[in-house]
Amino acid sequence: MKAAPFAYVRPADLDDVLDELSGGDGKVLAGGQSLVPVLAMRLGRPATLVDVTAVEELHGYGASAGGLRIGAAVRQRTVERSAEARAVPLLGLALPFVGHRELRSRGTVCGSLAHADPAAELPAVACCVGAKIEVAGPGGRRTLGAREFFVGAMTTAVTPEDVVVAAEFPVAAPGEGFGFAEIARRHGDFALAGVATAVTVAEDGTVTDARLTGFGISDRPAFREVTDLVRAAADADDVERELRGGAAELAAELVDTGGDTHGSTGYRRRLFSVLAARELAKALRRARGSRASGRP
Amino acid sequence: MTQLDDRTGSTADTDARASHRPRPRPRAEKIPAGELAEVSMTVNGAEVTVSVPARVHLADVLREHLGLTGTHLGCEHGVCGMCTVLVDGDAARACLLFAVQCDGAEIVTVEGLGTAEEQHPLQQAFSAHHGLQCGFCTPGMLMSSYDLLANPPGETEEELPEQMSGVLCRCTGYRGILAAVSDVAQAYPDGPPAPGNCGARTLVGRGGGRGPAGSADDEGVETGPALPTEVRIPVGAPSASVSVTSALSSPIDDVWPVLEDFDQLARCLPGAQLVEVLGDDRYRGRATIALGPVKLSFEGLAQVVEHDRDDHRMKVIAQGADASGSATQAVITLAAVPDEGSEGGTRLQADAELYLSGRIAQFGRALAGDVSRRMFEQFADAVDETARTGTAPEVGSGPSPVAIAAAALRDAVGRRLRSARARIREAVRRRRERR
Repeated sequence: MKAAPFAYVRPADLDDVLDELSGGDGKVLAGGQSLVPVLAMRLGRPATLVDVTAVEELHGYGASAGGLRIGAAVRQRTVERSAEARAVPLLGLALPFVGHRELRSRGTVCGSLAHADPAAELPAVACCVGAKIEVAGPGGRRTLGAREFFVGAMTTAVTPEDVVVAAEFPVAAPGEGFGFAEIARRHGDFALAGVATAVTVAEDGTVTDARLTGFGISDRPAFREVTDLVRAAADADDVERELRGGAAELAAELVDTGGDTHGSTGYRRRLFSVLAARELAKALRRARGSRASGRP
Repeated sequence: MTQLDDRTGSTADTDARASHRPRPRPRAEKIPAGELAEVSMTVNGAEVTVSVPARVHLADVLREHLGLTGTHLGCEHGVCGMCTVLVDGDAARACLLFAVQCDGAEIVTVEGLGTAEEQHPLQQAFSAHHGLQCGFCTPGMLMSSYDLLANPPGETEEELPEQMSGVLCRCTGYRGILAAVSDVAQAYPDGPPAPGNCGARTLVGRGGGRGPAGSADDEGVETGPALPTEVRIPVGAPSASVSVTSALSSPIDDVWPVLEDFDQLARCLPGAQLVEVLGDDRYRGRATIALGPVKLSFEGLAQVVEHDRDDHRMKVIAQGADASGSATQAVITLAAVPDEGSEGGTRLQADAELYLSGRIAQFGRALAGDVSRRMFEQFADAVDETARTGTAPEVGSGPSPVAIAAAALRDAVGRRLRSARARIREAVRRRRERR
């Protein structure tokens, strides 16, 4: 399990990073927690690894106009520990599920987005809250919405000559509530099915927005707006039970992964529908709590 | 949302710590594939610099280049957690980090956590709760649990199984491990004591650092240094210390010239051979040790660093590496005084501090010390004979390594028997008390 030989460079400037990536046979290395196993198994043999962790700009982390801005070199554990992350509750709910503590010590938030594993948590969070991802390339910089960023299994709108600069997660406002859950064989394993949810209630208590993103169930995060579904169930005594029918229909529509030894398609549908109903109900409850307290 | 609140509590000091964490210096010059890069880092408090290709991961550097074989390798792709070490204070997988990424980083391995004499509280707790059986996962478990308890948000009893799920154990069923971590968490609510065995020390690589990582498929690429021409001064606690006093029948004026003549001195050392005189009191030599099936041949360098003719004291530093992956350094002090107890005799005092790494270190320190002690005893006899007869005994007729091994083994067995007898006596005594 030794990586094949590669050249290595750790530039100080983003322009130098782009120079090294031009030609398309280089690969960006940030935390390496997804990339290095691929290299160790020799599933990938890039000619050059371009370590971006010496680029000062990519260590930027904190509130910005568009929300919480997380630079490409910022580690998952830094975010997990920080007070700033409270502004994006869904990140706090999802991060403990990302690999293990030992992997989050080195792994980066943006790296998880750029790697785009279909079973990964952070791409689902990004889609659910509508995060924006800033990409630098030979043609300059561009900003992509998370829902157009992920184009397939481990495939994003980032070309081999591009580098992710930062991701911006919108901060939560009063009246918003969130839910997150996944089922994996063991903690830290790839999720068999998982869901991130967000619900917004108005001051009069009506549901104005509800969305959900499933992961581990398709080749990319599966996003749906489900405001009508949640609004219709919102006044029931048992919201979760009321949501189950709709969640099962969503599962039939969204879960299109083939079965494997860990679970058939049908089993994953079942997992997804249960998790979706549960976490939407939880998000609604939290949204109401947030509305009542006036704090996000 | 409570989960989030729990996890982001008391972050002020953590943020400060996080921002102080060193970021890697830029390395603007590209390291071509297969070529060596110099990487400097701090390992268990010691500054080290290694020369490795970019694809060599940190765990291989620790094990092969620095002789720190406490960091184990299992899956080598980040799943099993055997190679967990602390990097800048946080637990990380040493197999998922290329050494070049660790430029300027501070690494702590299980060797830095505690010593055999003064174990870290986590090590004591693992021992007390039987948190290990085969021991393969233990270094990873220790470093992971240290990180858990030392870094906020800390752990809760309820979360402990999930928090400790990053390292796999196939023996214990985890119960003893969780009990040990829980114990230390309760005993040290503000975090466990810092690693207790970090400081400047000598790290000797295995077989000159030509590990499998460097030689897997780029033949001819030297990953380690060539045979050195200067001795390095070892620092830190030695693996074993030996002190042997021998009564020689020859007078001191006959004994000391033998020790001053490195050719004769080498002939008196069992298994040693002087290969080349390099000048400046430096000598290249070879030493073979054969202990039953164990056969080691050390190529090395010795240098007389202190020599007081009037006081009959001499200090020699020797270092050697074996092709099979063992390395050793020794600081040897020889001192002779007239023996007051016997007319015209000499007392020869030999003190040695041994620094072992690689396979020889796994040999068990007691045995290594025993072997050295026997060597010095036979050395003293040979010096005495040389002083008496004027000629050094032939290398071939010198003390047999097999005899050394047998004597050392007798010592070891005797010691074990004595300690077993003591344990039995203690158990009997306790049982009687209970009645």
